[in-house]
Amino acid sequence: MALQTEPHKMGMGPGFWPVTIGLTLLGIVSGILIGILPLDYLLPSSSLNVTDRGADIDFLFRFMSIIGNAIFVYVTGFVIYFAIAFRRRKHEPIESIGVQIHDLPALEFWWSIIPTVILCVLAIMSIRVWYLVQYGTGAPAFAVEVIGHQYNFEFRYPGLDRGIYNEMHLPLGRPVRVLVTSVDVLHSFWVPEFRLKADTVPGLVQNLNFTPQVAGTYLIECTEFCGVNHSFMQAKLIVEPQAKFNAWLDAQKKTAAVAAAPAASVAPSGSLALAGDAAAGKTSFKQKCSSCHKAEASDPEQDGPDLEHVFTNKAHPTLVNGQSVSPAHVAALIESGYKGSGPEAMPSAQQTGASAKDIANLTAYLASLK
Amino acid sequence: MSGVSTRDLPVPALARTGLLSWIATTDHKRIGIMYMVTAFAFFFVAGIMAMLIRAQLAQPNQSIVTSHTYSQLFTLHGTAMIFFFVVPFAFGLANFLVPLQIGAPDMAFPRLNAFTYWIFLLGALTVMSGAATNGGAAASGWFAYVPLSGIKISSGLGQDFWILGILMASISSILTSINLITTVFIYRAPGMTMWRIPIFTWEMVATALLVLMAFPALTADLGMLLIDRRFGGHFFDPAAGGSAVLYQHLFWFFGHPEVYIMILPYFGVVTEIVSTFSRKPVFGYVGMVLAAFAIAGLSMGVWAHHMFTTGAVSDPFFSAVSFLIAVPTGIKFFNWIGTMWRGSISLTTPMLFAVGFLLNFLNGGITGVMVASPPIDFHAEDSYFLVSHFHYVIGGGSLFAIFAALFFWFPKIFGVKLNEYWGKVCFAFEFIGFNLTFFPMYFLGVMGMPRRVYTYPNLPGWGSLNALATLGAAIMAVGVIIFVVNVIVSAIRRAPVPDDPWGGFTLEWATTSPPPAHNFDRLPPIRSERPVFDLRQSDLGSQRKR
Ligand code: HEC
Ligand SMILES: [Cu+2]
Repeated sequence: MALQTEPHKMGMGPGFWPVTIGLTLLGIVSGILIGILPLDYLLPSSSLNVTDRGADIDFLFRFMSIIGNAIFVYVTGFVIYFAIAFRRRKHEPIESIGVQIHDLPALEFWWSIIPTVILCVLAIMSIRVWYLVQYGTGAPAFAVEVIGHQYNFEFRYPGLDRGIYNEMHLPLGRPVRVLVTSVDVLHSFWVPEFRLKADTVPGLVQNLNFTPQVAGTYLIECTEFCGVNHSFMQAKLIVEPQAKFNAWLDAQKKTAAVAAAPAASVAPSGSLALAGDAAAGKTSFKQKCSSCHKAEASDPEQDGPDLEHVFTNKAHPTLVNGQSVSPAHVAALIESGYKGSGPEAMPSAQQTGASAKDIANLTAYLASLK
Repeated sequence: MSGVSTRDLPVPALARTGLLSWIATTDHKRIGIMYMVTAFAFFFVAGIMAMLIRAQLAQPNQSIVTSHTYSQLFTLHGTAMIFFFVVPFAFGLANFLVPLQIGAPDMAFPRLNAFTYWIFLLGALTVMSGAATNGGAAASGWFAYVPLSGIKISSGLGQDFWILGILMASISSILTSINLITTVFIYRAPGMTMWRIPIFTWEMVATALLVLMAFPALTADLGMLLIDRRFGGHFFDPAAGGSAVLYQHLFWFFGHPEVYIMILPYFGVVTEIVSTFSRKPVFGYVGMVLAAFAIAGLSMGVWAHHMFTTGAVSDPFFSAVSFLIAVPTGIKFFNWIGTMWRGSISLTTPMLFAVGFLLNFLNGGITGVMVASPPIDFHAEDSYFLVSHFHYVIGGGSLFAIFAALFFWFPKIFGVKLNEYWGKVCFAFEFIGFNLTFFPMYFLGVMGMPRRVYTYPNLPGWGSLNALATLGAAIMAVGVIIFVVNVIVSAIRRAPVPDDPWGGFTLEWATTSPPPAHNFDRLPPIRSERPVFDLRQSDLGSQRKR
């Protein structure tokens, strides 16, 4: 009697319709939850609409999550349900087979057409929001340039002939155009709370247009791998009322005038420590560091730590900032400066005037000391 | 030699011993085994790297390894998993299976076949040996974007070794593809018409065509990079009229089809396994084949969706095509479910891994559709959301299918069946571990964690979600150890196993396990895509009549 179809393989399968209704309910209920739950924890500041486009993008995200969730519930549900409902029963002989269905053209037709329609709807919605993101903001009140450097963001404002590093200010409620580029490698300018991102590409300027709508401080991150200190490449974005913004910009203009006298603007620093030249490093060390550090036995003692054995001294396996001794960390320390519990502070590269190249050379020099 | 023709002696692949016999072999089964074993070795290496990465990220502000080491780790992890594991494993499996499935004695070009293996191995070792150079291995990520991978920033030899090694691996893939396509078109047994070719072999044909279209773009790209680095070229230098975006175009012209090169073979694996263990024909066989070629075709037109955030591509066009590619993929899904429907399903280890594949790949596919939407991509690109998405596709998809394939064809390849109980335990560890590792990353990504960071600040939730991911990775590692022990113990015990332990459908199950050097003594009649099934049913029928 093995040739006869087992009862559980008849029709659609045991409990097919209850399961289908159950999965539908699950899809609807979880979809509604995704639609109405405040997702601020997940999508930072989603209930605040911090830019004019935030709500559109978040709506799209939720909408696609709801559709995706429904598909996930159905497909997963049916895979698991079929695996259980049509499992070979203990009493069935080992050579028992399933119902030999090769295809059902009508079914195949519909399950090709319906997804195509759904995907077309999603594509049209996406392109609509994309259009709004690109062109939906009114004429910009002004433009800020963002320039990616290993490993700093430089911001340039109209009327200010000096770059500001790692702190961006924008006036509240004014449409702005952000022009994005890079001077060295690729970086990416990302403000997660704004849902906006643009790669900084050398030789290419692209723009982002939006209107900040809520005052506050936001995180800017580099999100295109750009070298050893990629993870530390972050900046602050401060959105403030126009008056405060103006005051800030004026103050920057004044300090710029003072700073312009002694030297040209300091090249932003950061470097891949391995590419340096030790001989050139020795020269820069004499100029920039020897007032605080001793590097070779013949140098005089200074207030800062001895750097003669900084790479090799087993008794000091970590740097003053607690990081392990590696070219990357030494370079990062020279770059960022450091102030520990002691009275003296290690100045940052901007203060010592060390360029990216200098830092590479200095690191190579320090590494060459044995 | 004695007067006996070798055709009469079934010599299993493993019985012809001696190291030299392996080095000099042109037997497609041995080459297939060498590919798979090598690929698995690289899986371990890349897996250990992944564990170090997860250790470094387990908590905020850690420095377990240095930042420079970390960059090398994620570069080599990605490179090894993609170029030295998932792709060559598929080619190894195809080497072993395709001639068997179409009833051929070997591949069309056996010596070319051996050459492709050795050049692949040389390439892989070249990339890895970069770690021994001054300045370490390549550290600019698996897609080696310029200018970071240029000579000014990555001045070490490690990057050059990486380029040369990948060039060798791609030449290997291109030649293997030519070999596979020729084999399938010319060497099919009598009766094996095109519409009777098993799905796995069909998927390999689609994969091989994709390789032929996509890999040349990669070799061109890397050749240009090498010229820029060492011979004074300016292809990618904007200051001299070059373009950094050009590198990305060529890279992703290869890189997106590459995603399908990594998944189509495993679609084939899963199709065979689901059909076998549901005791049913593949639902919508023709649709399955057409969908594979639709995917292959469309995948050539979506590459720039990796570049939405450069602002240098047409977002609406590439977005629309990317959405469309979900249609044939969806058809495949429905066909898999249709195959299970009203079947007689046994949840063996291979079937469990295949079901795991379905669920994980579905997850990655859905988020893939989400990131095809430019506005969502503007947020998710290069964040952990993306990391999670492609790991669901390649890790939850391809890797699970690789385990399924191993459990399924192990008896065929080695004449040894892996322990089922421990296989299921392994599946549980992998499935739970995998989802624990990668599901939290979706959240981390939307919350704002960028990809490829060495460490991260202690923002609310970041520490705990990352800790969870690291825990999941550890569970996966235990699962892999269980697998290895299973292989060793099963190999030592060598429990007797029939030639066809699963009741297979396709021709590889018509010969001994392991198969003799010449593959078949006698082929069953081929009247459908399941000749062995037909044979078994007609035997059963005549028994019943008696
Ligand atoms: C104004 C004095 C001063 C100057 C100039 C200075 N440093 Fe320092 N440096 C310090 C002090 C003080 C510390 C220790 C900080 C602490 O412990 O808080 C330090 C620490 C360091 C360290 C870490 C040492 C260790 O053992 O961990 C390195 C490396 C270093 N400096 C390199 C340099 C280089 C290279 C330059 C030149 C570009 C430079 N410093 C210029 C004062 C200075
Ligand atoms: Cu950066």
